[in-house]
Amino acid sequence: MKNKIVKANAGALTNFEVIELLNSRGASKDTSTRVMGLKDKVSKSEYKVYDYLMETAASTQTRESVTTFSDKCKDFKLAKAEILNIINLRPSSDVELTPILEKPDERGIDIEGILELVNELLPPLPTVETLEETEQEETENVEQEETAV
Amino acid sequence: MFCLSELEDTVRVPPHLLNGPLEDAIKEVLQKLFLDKVLSIGLCVSIYDIRSVKGGFVLPGDGAPTYKVRFRIVVFRPFVGEVIAAKFKESDSNGLRLTLGFFEDVYVPAPLIPTPNRCEPDPYNRNQMRWVWQYEGEEFIIDDSCQIKFRVENISYPPVPIERAEDAKPFAPMVVTGTIDDDGLGPVSWWEACAPISDQD
Repeated sequence: MKNKIVKANAGALTNFEVIELLNSRGASKDTSTRVMGLKDKVSKSEYKVYDYLMETAASTQTRESVTTFSDKCKDFKLAKAEILNIINLRPSSDVELTPILEKPDERGIDIEGILELVNELLPPLPTVETLEETEQEETENVEQEETAV
Repeated sequence: MFCLSELEDTVRVPPHLLNGPLEDAIKEVLQKLFLDKVLSIGLCVSIYDIRSVKGGFVLPGDGAPTYKVRFRIVVFRPFVGEVIAAKFKESDSNGLRLTLGFFEDVYVPAPLIPTPNRCEPDPYNRNQMRWVWQYEGEEFIIDDSCQIKFRVENISYPPVPIERAEDAKPFAPMVVTGTIDDDGLGPVSWWEACAPISDQD
């Protein structure tokens, strides 16, 4: 059988969108329900991707937060790929953000502004334990809600 | 990291799948054909959707219909310059090997490790060498204690070897070369102390 590549690049996806796709197929964090049978819709290799993504910032993002963030990023003269990379990594400090951007000094990019926007709109990484208890509770609530859905 | 690609393929749907909806049957065949495989466009991760199905001919001598299917798949194909968080897998005198869980052929060759550095036998693992970055009198060890961020330098699809040496590593159809030689790259613990932005609420 021969396959033909019609369009090699039909658009990039954020990590969040891939999680959403796998969720819609019935992927879950609960390992006990993962029966690898013929009828199972999510394959083993897809679960490996899912497990990787659940450890990234994408696991706490929502469609709303991602779209508002990418809309607001347009004011910063960033390339599309850079916005995508910021959403996937969720940098929280200067030193995390600069390697993502290409020559930020020459292009005069407002790094502080981007970081503020990230802090405001994108939820923090699931593994990062914030010292403030209120924040911790918030993230826990979000996670619970997600599993409930 | 991930993107969509549109493909067209001629798919034979075996009769035992035909009692359900046709789209589900085709999806199942496509999943078996493509998932976890490397094409010239990257590593296929998941079938996204089916755009169109044509045909359905039963070829002479065959007991199953064949369809011409146009569909989209999610492929793992990082772009050059992208920063990705990975985990440490192994290291030797040639450099590091990182893993993403679903993709394990990420290499950081020795010249792309921050200098000055040195490579020494790992005291915890006899089979391994470990890399140490020496910076302003301090030593930073690269090990599996935390995530490692790398920037994609190159993606290559080596041709399938005709002959294989006996001690050769398993063949990798897709290899990502990464660099950790820049501020903010490498093990995330290296940069944690560097002026984190405090929450402004």
